[in-house]
Amino acid sequence: MRVCVQILRQFCFNSATKRIVEIPDLQWEKSQLNRNVACRFFFIWFPDLTELKLPVSDPNPSLCVCVLLTLQWDTDPSVLQLQSDSELGRKMQRLGATKITQVDFLPREVVLYCKETQTPITGTEEEDDEEIIDLEPALESDQQEEVDNKETREGYPGRELTEEEKQQILKSEEFLSFFDCSIRVMERALAEQSDIFFDYSGRDLEDKDGELQGGSSLSLSRLFYDEHWSKHRVITCLDWSPQYPELLVASYNNNEDAPHEPDGVALVWNMKFKKNTPEYVFHCQSPVVAVGFARFHPNLVVGGTYSGQIVLWDNRSHRRTPVQRTPLSAAAHTHPVYCVNVVGTQNANNLITVSTDGRMCSWTQPISTPWDFMELVYNKSKPVAVTGMAFPTGDVNNYVVGSEEGTVYTASRHGSKAGICEMFEGHQGPVTGLSCHNAVGPVDFSHLFVTSSFDWTVKLWSTKHNKPLYSFEDNADYIYDVMWSPVHPALFAAVDGMGRLDLWNLNSDTEVPTASVTVEGASALNRVRWASGGKEVAVGDSEGRLWIYDAGELAVPHSEDWARFARTLMEIKANRGDAEEEGLVELTP
Amino acid sequence: QAEVEETLKRIQTHKGVIGTIVVNAEGIPIRTTLDNSTTVQYAGLLHQLTMKARSTVRDIDPQNDLTFLRIRSKKHEIMVAPDKEYMLIVIQNPSE
Repeated sequence: MRVCVQILRQFCFNSATKRIVEIPDLQWEKSQLNRNVACRFFFIWFPDLTELKLPVSDPNPSLCVCVLLTLQWDTDPSVLQLQSDSELGRKMQRLGATKITQVDFLPREVVLYCKETQTPITGTEEEDDEEIIDLEPALESDQQEEVDNKETREGYPGRELTEEEKQQILKSEEFLSFFDCSIRVMERALAEQSDIFFDYSGRDLEDKDGELQGGSSLSLSRLFYDEHWSKHRVITCLDWSPQYPELLVASYNNNEDAPHEPDGVALVWNMKFKKNTPEYVFHCQSPVVAVGFARFHPNLVVGGTYSGQIVLWDNRSHRRTPVQRTPLSAAAHTHPVYCVNVVGTQNANNLITVSTDGRMCSWTQPISTPWDFMELVYNKSKPVAVTGMAFPTGDVNNYVVGSEEGTVYTASRHGSKAGICEMFEGHQGPVTGLSCHNAVGPVDFSHLFVTSSFDWTVKLWSTKHNKPLYSFEDNADYIYDVMWSPVHPALFAAVDGMGRLDLWNLNSDTEVPTASVTVEGASALNRVRWASGGKEVAVGDSEGRLWIYDAGELAVPHSEDWARFARTLMEIKANRGDAEEEGLVELTP
Repeated sequence: QAEVEETLKRIQTHKGVIGTIVVNAEGIPIRTTLDNSTTVQYAGLLHQLTMKARSTVRDIDPQNDLTFLRIRSKKHEIMVAPDKEYMLIVIQNPSE
């Protein structure tokens, strides 16, 4: 673009006297004027004035000239010519009023929300043009007016966002983390519908729902089920949080009806609030068959998968995928890991995992390769296909494992007899669950453990005898899991394939369960876990539903229960001793 | 990001929920389940109210900050979860 200038008066600067003097007649060589010059409004500066006297036709004068001029626009705006006609330069133009185009430039809009550059919809103009003055002042002024109008019309709440901008925001990282946190809070608030305005005076007192009928029987307290994540998945494992007694985690198998969904899911549920959606949703690529809260790391959830990988989820990150994973290598596990356990103390703890090929690995944080592993082999020949593992209370070295063949073994982690120690035979089917006695009281029963199996029985054992002390045979289906109560010495829960949850109180009766309930829908129950307070028991079934039952009075231990249980045990042993003379081997502990 | 949509839909189907609005720091609605004029009205008014509530809290104690705002009226309950950059508004009819 070229500017048409009409030179009215010419001044120049004398570097010697440092004065600006007017030059009456100055001829401009066409060539000089056609150069690219730096223009500011109404000033054209040429570099370097040397002399006051300026030869008219000096080939290369360097001038520093002030000119008063007007911008004149050619009628044809496409081509504007420098009017360097000699006659214009020769005569001195009189200054006259010219049309002044007022142009207002609004300050540049500061965009707050979008991170990328935006193409300016409203034309914000540059005041300076470095090279050539950009033309279209007429158009500029129109645009500016438009923007003004737009601003005032919208008033409040301000500009509209385009669909694209909204999508941008919805994808952004910070929005997702804000959403994650606030939706959790909002759901809890939505679910808390306590009517603070309830007026007792003019109305009938309604039964407040949600109150637990604490009685001497098992009653259903909550049902946790998520349409999206629980449907058609079997609950494979449960664990209550040691730190927050209202949280529990459940792991789920794969959903055969939804092959595109992740195969392994772990959901953290919250008992404290009435909302029915999980607190946290975690998933991974392989079905999760064992899950637990990492005991000394309150933010971590450990999962053992069908592929042998151990995964760690962290509830501090808003990612749903694991933050740590073990490599699939021969150094770790290559078979499904059915047992994950954190043992030790705050300062010295290890994650112990056992897979069905008999390999037991110990891990430290961060998990990459196990620092220790051993093969669990019986008699140095047969690897044990481990389906369950339990540590007696307070013991970090000795533990009990159940196997697919129906045998139970005790083993040690360290020491001279590291590995499998003793074999306990008795079950005729794979051992599905095992639990060491862990109620702490005046009498020590920590040598006792119970096991459940596909052979329809639950057996009571002592680590001192290699044959079962007692066999509970009230069930008519595979028994999938069993667990001692953490507070009552004589109470344990068992679940079977017909949807039955049984509570056995050995001080009352050893032939039949003291309380029994069948879940709605009679789906097979896969896992049972007592809450750490011993009042609630969680059962997971094969349809992905997590039932929380309140055990009420049954679960409350009384001080004489310990002594009674000791007597019960003696009776059991005595009865057994009468029944079979041989085969009873006293084992040295 | 589809999870966001799913979650919003789930909130919307919760018992008694009338509408859900997500608003950015300037009070411009980003996602809403209500019609445009209602959304704009709620967004603008609640944005101002939240700012005022936040400044009240901070004036009383500069170390404090607003975490949740719940307005109970005769007909509805409006719950606002504010944040530095965004705000989640849910309007619920609690007696349903």
